[in-house]
Amino acid sequence: MSQQSSDPTIYDGLMFVSLGAVITGIVFLILTLNEYGWSGG
Amino acid sequence: MNNVVAKILIVLQLVFSICFMCFAGAVYSFQKGWRDRAESAETRNGELNLNIEQMRSDKETQESSLNAEVLKERTRAEDALAKLENLRNDLVQSEQELANQDAEREKHLADLGIAQEEAEARGVESNALRQEVEALRDQLNTGIKRRRELDGQKLDLQSEIGELSEREEYLHTEIARLRDLLRLNEVDPDEVYVGTVPAAIQKVDGVVRQSRKNTSRTVELVEISVGTDDGINKKMKLIVYRGRSFICEIEVTDVYPDMAVGRVLEETRNGTIERGDHVTTKL
Repeated sequence: MSQQSSDPTIYDGLMFVSLGAVITGIVFLILTLNEYGWSGG
Repeated sequence: MNNVVAKILIVLQLVFSICFMCFAGAVYSFQKGWRDRAESAETRNGELNLNIEQMRSDKETQESSLNAEVLKERTRAEDALAKLENLRNDLVQSEQELANQDAEREKHLADLGIAQEEAEARGVESNALRQEVEALRDQLNTGIKRRRELDGQKLDLQSEIGELSEREEYLHTEIARLRDLLRLNEVDPDEVYVGTVPAAIQKVDGVVRQSRKNTSRTVELVEISVGTDDGINKKMKLIVYRGRSFICEIEVTDVYPDMAVGRVLEETRNGTIERGDHVTTKL
């Protein structure tokens, strides 16, 4: 087992930022689909 | 090396995530804008459709009304054409009648001229007849006058005929009486008489108007009241008397219709002649 550092780096932050961006994009897409009467399945 | 790749991948993931987010947001925003525009366009489209329907219905209504009007106008046009044709026929007929009337008018004018000429000739003829009537009236008046004169003459002749008839009857009676007298005296009335027969003297009575002697006082002339109207002639001898006394005889020397003058025959004088003495042809 190699020892790994537990301090979050900038890249972790970038990962969360990208996660938030993806979630925001998905919300936009859902809202767009709702505009066309999409019911989720 | 792995770290580098991981980092690169993380960065790429970040970039793509951000890009995804941006595109999703752009899609959402643009979609919303386009949706609003589509809804407004749909609303406008619906309004336009309604307007189109309304206009179409209006158009159909107008078309139907226009068709009806066209049909009506066509009917009117046909009627007008028929009327026009009738009027044209009437016009032709009227022109023909006018021509006939003109011809008849010309004929009547000609007849009128002839009638005027005839009237003038009749007038001249009536004047001539009037003059002839005047002449005939004058002749009639002359004839009436002549007839009255002839009627007068006829009356005179009738009265004369009556007198002559009475005289004829008297003469017949006298002849009968004389024949009786001759028969009583035994004289033949058919015996032939030889010698001159003295003229019969009618008895005429008059009076002496005046008597005077001539300038030499040798002859006494007597004017008496009878003349040729009473049958007195020249050289006729008359007897002058007064009452029952014979005075003298006179011989007529001058005679007039109502008087005569006689010369006293001195050899027969038996008295003096005075005015008012009677004179007669025979006693």
